[in-house]
Amino acid sequence: MRTAAVVLALVLALSALPVCALEEWTIDSGTAGLLVEDHRAPLLFVTIDFAAGSWSPWVEEHDAEAAFEIQMHDPNGELRRRADLLAASVWLYVSDRSSTLSLACRKEDAAQALDLVRAILANSDFDRSELKRRRQESKLSWAASLKEPQFVLQRAAVETLFGEDDPRRRRYEEPKLPPADVARLVAARDALVRFPGRVVGFAGDLTLEEASRLADGLLPEAAREAPPDIAPKLGPIAPARSRPREKSIRLPRLTQVYFGYGRDSIGWLDPRFPASLVADHALGGHFNSRLMVALRQEGGDTYGAYVRGFGDVDPGPYGIGSFTKNENAAPMEAKLRDVLASFHTGGIHEAERALAAGNVVGRRAFSRQSPSSILATAMAERRHGLPYGFFDGQSEKAASLSLEEVNAFIREFYDPELFTMLVLQAE
Amino acid sequence: MARFRTFVPILLFSFLASARALSGAPPGYLTETLSNGLEVSILADPTMPVVATQVWYHVGSANEEPKTRGFAHLFEHMMFGGTPTHPKRAVWDHHEAYGGDTNAYTSFDETVYVSEIPPQGFDGVPELEADRMVNLSLTEENLANEKRIVTEELRLSTENDPMSRLLTDMLKRVLGEHPYALSPVGTKEDIAAATLEHAREFYGRYYRPRNAHVVVVGPVDPEATLARLRAAFGPLPPDGETPKDVPDLHAWDFPDRLRFEEDLPPAEIATIGFPLPAPSHHDSPAVDLMLEILARSAINPFEDDLVRRRHRAIYAGTDTYGARRGGFIAFFSANLPYRREKTAFRHLEESRAALGRFEWLDEARLSAAKRKLSQTEAWRRYYASSMADAIGRAAWWEGDEERAFDRLERLEAVAVEDVKSVFRRYILDATPVKLYVKPEHVPLYVRLFGWLYPLFGGR
Repeated sequence: MRTAAVVLALVLALSALPVCALEEWTIDSGTAGLLVEDHRAPLLFVTIDFAAGSWSPWVEEHDAEAAFEIQMHDPNGELRRRADLLAASVWLYVSDRSSTLSLACRKEDAAQALDLVRAILANSDFDRSELKRRRQESKLSWAASLKEPQFVLQRAAVETLFGEDDPRRRRYEEPKLPPADVARLVAARDALVRFPGRVVGFAGDLTLEEASRLADGLLPEAAREAPPDIAPKLGPIAPARSRPREKSIRLPRLTQVYFGYGRDSIGWLDPRFPASLVADHALGGHFNSRLMVALRQEGGDTYGAYVRGFGDVDPGPYGIGSFTKNENAAPMEAKLRDVLASFHTGGIHEAERALAAGNVVGRRAFSRQSPSSILATAMAERRHGLPYGFFDGQSEKAASLSLEEVNAFIREFYDPELFTMLVLQAE
Repeated sequence: MARFRTFVPILLFSFLASARALSGAPPGYLTETLSNGLEVSILADPTMPVVATQVWYHVGSANEEPKTRGFAHLFEHMMFGGTPTHPKRAVWDHHEAYGGDTNAYTSFDETVYVSEIPPQGFDGVPELEADRMVNLSLTEENLANEKRIVTEELRLSTENDPMSRLLTDMLKRVLGEHPYALSPVGTKEDIAAATLEHAREFYGRYYRPRNAHVVVVGPVDPEATLARLRAAFGPLPPDGETPKDVPDLHAWDFPDRLRFEEDLPPAEIATIGFPLPAPSHHDSPAVDLMLEILARSAINPFEDDLVRRRHRAIYAGTDTYGARRGGFIAFFSANLPYRREKTAFRHLEESRAALGRFEWLDEARLSAAKRKLSQTEAWRRYYASSMADAIGRAAWWEGDEERAFDRLERLEAVAVEDVKSVFRRYILDATPVKLYVKPEHVPLYVRLFGWLYPLFGGR
């Protein structure tokens, strides 16, 4: 009863917060504008999402990731020098489903900072020397990644789940080196930033009128349509029966054994997703979760034990992770398996459900602290084709589920027969 | 007469215990020293959706004695062990129920307990913190379990990742006998040697009102929150002590040159490092602006000279680190393992000398650095935890919590000549600590033919 009151109080309190409204408008036929207006600090954040990311076959074929990320590097460093003089921070990065330019600056510098954005997107003189340097750096970074236990474990996980051509494996494979052909890179960047489906998001100390004015002419004219191969082509997930039940990986000099007990996650649009929020919280989402109590609080076997899902609207890897000293490997593995088995067969108790319900609702306050984090959530929703408020809605659905509904999901999803035990240990 | 004697201390305590609003602080800021010596600070901001409560204990790894090595970090864990009135899981469960977070961290100079929670869950947080400040259940069972957990944390953070191993080793060898030489997480040997008797002594000495500062920031009523803090913490005994200060880093005697080997990719890393003054030093605003330009610009002037203009390294950069008694700035380069160590250091020195021409510094660049740092300060307006951290840090590191609010004014007063002056004093005219890191394994083809690489324009 007390917990139901907590959840209700949290829902009501969050609804009453002075949440900055999200406003949307059309900039041109291929571009939407978004604004989160917040005048508490004289700051401006701009996030521009372009419609293809590293999972796109088109991006891969045209080396557009390297092209997008190098475009602020002209041979004389003029663009970066301008950013420094404007006290503006500019980030260029390519994620799975989009390519993004982000800017943060003081409001008084907004007009000049957006001129800089225009200049970056129009730069056709990429620094050849920097390209060459990035090739060398890329090789060294890859070599360093292969010595990091978590990276190695995650790499093994995606290999058990996805076929060789599946883009979900890509970030764990040796990166393709950026080509030296600047003209080819400039052409790729020029095409990428024109694909329709662009979103220009503003957050901070400006009005809709100001945002509309700043957005006008900010981007090059949008193309009428995008090539058919910009959308990611995800392959099928290896069925559980074809996946290994166990897999051992070796690295030199380890003094700990790392476990990844995993399977495929469920996607955000799966109707079971809200139940997974409750179940994951109870299993490994906090200091008193099943995993943390069994492996840390009671026996001191480990420092950390957690559950982690890497999916989005499409499933990705899902894993229960932990680690312990080498000589404790076998008992630890047995405990890990026991926790999952008893979770699967016995489900959770009402107290655990209630704690998770309060948690998923209350946590939403954290993503409402700054206008840029509100904008980031809205842009993530839009990027994945979800309605605004989707994540808040899922939290509320999760909080309203009954114990029986959550336990029915647990019996279905956490079957140990569907999991692979990955063990990374010393050579 | 007896009445008078009682009356005087009451008056005195009333004076000491009266809340004061600092001149440079924003509205809604209250600060007070309770009669038991505990400092409390409250910044009310109704626009924040989360309340941050931080309890700063002014003891860190640098204050440990031989018999209490590793205790600062160990206590970060022990403090979640429960009290006679609040069982072990109480602090976590309270936060989880409201979607909040609670955690702690240990550094060289302090151990900080952090709570972030929607305002509906703030009720109870001061009481939980006050309870564990003096009533912690210190048992053999709790100690033994936390020792095992911390040992696993040590293995994770200092043994199994090549870069972590390297940094732990560097800290120890560069700083030698300085209290900052030991990583705040401690060592396995220290943790194994910890006894309950020493734990109780450590707790009784440092986890007490006179060595703590409670900071609350968020959508709270300042007067009501002050009353609540007085009620929760006020009755605690007026004891505890602040450990003796550690030596200033800048005055420390460092080794000239050290060599390291680690299981890194086939690249060699050369570093020249320089100690910097403490944040409370009068040079601090000029140093902050210098670091903003040298270490956090889109164009890193050192990297620009070494890598882009002169092509002397694959990668170069500037790292900084700050602690209460001083900081460090390090300029580093990475090369394929064909260069001689001497050559790598010569290139670094040439770039240091190039920085001495101050092409990276003029009025426009300094003004931009000030505007950039002003963004960092403005950013705190959104985040209760960031603001609480700034207040706790200003009070402990700089000895004056008002410095959390007047930083921009102090930065504004810095002139180009001031930045040039601190660059000359702390970098250009200073003797560097030189560190050279070689990979354990170098491929045979690199060993045999690497020397040809620069002839074809390689770095």
